[in-house]
Amino acid sequence: MDSSHSAHAAATHDGGHASVQTYIRVAVVLAILTAIEIGALYVPGLPKHILVTLIIIFGSLKFALVVAFFMHLRYDNKLLTVLFVGPLIIATAIILVIMALFSAFLLLARG
Amino acid sequence: MATHAAYMAGTKMSAGSVIWSWITTVDHKRIGLLYGASAFFFFLVGGIEALIMRLQLAQPDNTLVSAQRFNELFTMHGTTMVFLAIMPMSAAFFNYLIPLMIGARDVAFPRLNALSYWVFFSGALLLHLSFVAGTVPDGGWFGYANLTSNQFSPTHSIDFWMLGLQVLGISSLMAGFNFIVTIINMRAPGMTLMRMPLFVWMSFVVQFLVVLAFPAITVALILLMFDRFFGTLFYAPAAGADPLLWQHLFWIFGHPEVYILILPAMGIVSEVLPTFSRKPLFGAPVVIYSGIMIGFLGFGVWSHHMFSVGMGPVADAAFSISTMLIAVPTGVKILNWIGTLWGGRIRFSTALYFSLGFIAMFTLGGLSGVMHASPPVDLQQTDSYFIVAHFHYVLFGGSIFGLFSGVYYWWPKMFGRLLDERLGMVHFWLMMIGFNVTFFPMHFLGLIGMPRRIYTYAPDLGWNFWNLVATIGAFVIVLSFLAFIWNVIKTTRSGARAPADPWDGRTLEWTIPSPPPVYNFAVEPTVHDRDDFWIQKYGDGHGTPPRKPVPPAHVDPASIHMPPPSYWPILLAAAFFVTASGALVSIYQVILGGFLTLYCMIRFMLEYHHQTDVGPAAGGHH
Amino acid sequence: MAAEHAAAVHDPNIGCTGLDHRKMGMWAFLGSECMFFGSLIGTYLAYKGKSINGPGPHEILNIPLTSVSAFVLLMSSLLMVLALAAVQRNDMKWGKIWLFMTAVLGAGFVGFQIYEFTHFVHSGLTLQTNLFGSTFFVLTGFHGAHVTGGVIWLLAMWVLAVRGKLGPQDSLKVEICGLYWHFVDIVWIVIFALIYLIP
Repeated sequence: MDSSHSAHAAATHDGGHASVQTYIRVAVVLAILTAIEIGALYVPGLPKHILVTLIIIFGSLKFALVVAFFMHLRYDNKLLTVLFVGPLIIATAIILVIMALFSAFLLLARG
Repeated sequence: MATHAAYMAGTKMSAGSVIWSWITTVDHKRIGLLYGASAFFFFLVGGIEALIMRLQLAQPDNTLVSAQRFNELFTMHGTTMVFLAIMPMSAAFFNYLIPLMIGARDVAFPRLNALSYWVFFSGALLLHLSFVAGTVPDGGWFGYANLTSNQFSPTHSIDFWMLGLQVLGISSLMAGFNFIVTIINMRAPGMTLMRMPLFVWMSFVVQFLVVLAFPAITVALILLMFDRFFGTLFYAPAAGADPLLWQHLFWIFGHPEVYILILPAMGIVSEVLPTFSRKPLFGAPVVIYSGIMIGFLGFGVWSHHMFSVGMGPVADAAFSISTMLIAVPTGVKILNWIGTLWGGRIRFSTALYFSLGFIAMFTLGGLSGVMHASPPVDLQQTDSYFIVAHFHYVLFGGSIFGLFSGVYYWWPKMFGRLLDERLGMVHFWLMMIGFNVTFFPMHFLGLIGMPRRIYTYAPDLGWNFWNLVATIGAFVIVLSFLAFIWNVIKTTRSGARAPADPWDGRTLEWTIPSPPPVYNFAVEPTVHDRDDFWIQKYGDGHGTPPRKPVPPAHVDPASIHMPPPSYWPILLAAAFFVTASGALVSIYQVILGGFLTLYCMIRFMLEYHHQTDVGPAAGGHH
Repeated sequence: MAAEHAAAVHDPNIGCTGLDHRKMGMWAFLGSECMFFGSLIGTYLAYKGKSINGPGPHEILNIPLTSVSAFVLLMSSLLMVLALAAVQRNDMKWGKIWLFMTAVLGAGFVGFQIYEFTHFVHSGLTLQTNLFGSTFFVLTGFHGAHVTGGVIWLLAMWVLAVRGKLGPQDSLKVEICGLYWHFVDIVWIVIFALIYLIP
């Protein structure tokens, strides 16, 4: 029972393991990033394009942190990364093309 | 388990236990046969719908069917052929062959596989219950908004279509995940990805197309459902919405969908040609990469279905360029197939004829397709019979011919009997002639101005002759089908028994008996090359000698443990059907169905949690 | 080492890549869900700013309140990984606690959403009011439905654990539940940014 358990663990956690400490650190970073994002909303006179850029960058960072650490992709077989990131790229591209086709960028720039 | 053992031992089973064994099967081969039989049945249904249309159009000012009935016919013909004929026929081949060709004993998730079939069945049922209700879908197979709104389609006809497609989509998605994991994770030792048979490769690309494209139509249909049931404004121009949103979302699905429809047939052709040329596929890696490119680029061409809606020159040009680009890998494949035949020691068979027919007909369809890629040219061709000609050349001349090639090729493996070759030739030539007589004239009709989806036409437009010709061709196609059906009936009783390897094949499925035992491989094969079986028999001509066939290991079949049958797939599918159809009846049925579905899902998962033997069979690592 | 390898090889759930079928299947599913939510998000962005009548987002969205619920969901992801770590080291006491708490935070998020939806309806924004209403409720509603599904899944695992029917040998099942849960969280990161934060 023990050998199959550890073999099972060995088979599914190839490249290492995050510790509980790492998880907590990641959670703290996530909280800080969120706080900055929301805080930025209340900065008077912050130009819109800077705000939008900041939100997009911080959002992407949070996304990447959860995927890499909480979802363990950083430590897992690269194949799983390909299985997820491929569709993610296609989905993002389609969102951007739809936005372009519906003049969403023009509207954003104007407003 | 008892019925399973009885089936294996060949003892006489009662009709009831036979039916029960099919209802609860989790065996990929049986599931494949279920898909195949269903697909053939619905192909006939769709064919009858086409025949009625052809009869109506055979003469001008005809009154065989009304305009409303004609709308229902072309809607159901298209929907049936795409979702209930070609896709499940491809699924039949995926199910039967993928585990065999990669040296596995079943798919990764056998019960999920059964669930996919029963959900498909319930979706087909839901769609056709519209006939019973008298409100048949009539908005075309791509249901453009806002014709499909409550305002313009007040009856339940669009609701049947919408709900039926959602259910069918769920079925396809589940199968997609299953095959992705199976192909990546259950290959026999030594079978690297590049050593996989081409049919497995094309199917692999198709599964990714399915899991990435179906979510788009799922969303399009959800938005439509909310508009129709809850009064949202997604496709309501009066509220500032753009009906083009439907078109974009639909075709983001719809274009990859046509590659889903053609790639399996291309995979089949890539197996049949090398076998009957007694030569490896010419440039196999290039064909593989072309397939991958087609899959990938297929997501970037969707608006070529929308050149006439006014997207503007930038969008038109972008999609025109990407569409022309995608013709390149397709053309490459055609050259590779021809290169396979060139210099081969050709042995003719019905399977080969259908593959040759595929190459010729698909090329014609591809040529008209390249014409459509130009927006100014397409402005004349779109919504005319020229387009109808194009897609029938690629879907019938392409997919159907390719699928029939597969039928004649793998029939002996599946049923242990060879189909009659002379009847096969009758089938082929009648279909070839009938198909071209039906659809080639549609190019002319399109160019002289006949629009698609019209139920009749005036006698003085010059369209009479070719319409009559097309209808005659349709009946020749009927004759070809009768030849096939007769072939099946005749050989089921008294056909020649098929050995394991009737065609001197190249791939792993030919190394096991016809039909295969339930566990497929007594001992898991080890693979050293692409076309490993051929090289094992004959060497590779470059220094690798033939290998002595390994004497069949003495493995007691009873020791090979296969996943047991289960009734949760059909029950869960039934619960899901109650939920989906409830949308047409009452909110209480939806709620009841929802709870039933949740209950069945939990029981389905608990069956797995409590038994350790319900998962996939060990791949024979001993 | 050889014995471990042999043991892993006999596990019918591990395939020729050394990966578990179920874990691979879940990642393929999450890739597909990227396209699902991508289509819904694309729809929202296509119609953003095009409503012909109000109320619009700036008039009705409660950023402070939603920030709290976003934070709650984010922290639930932390509890989820703690639950998995506990189950893996056979600490079922903390495994149960963390599983249950993750479900509680998830339910809390859904609770916030129900409150928000009810408040919006009373303030004059419904599914039928304008494009913002249609796109907002459908996008966030489907996300909320996914969260609800996740909460049910978590509670089911918790119930199994309470009955002593979940242990370290089921770590992979907890991990897969976790993958789904984290995904639902990252989708919210995107939705929260696009609907609530970006003007």
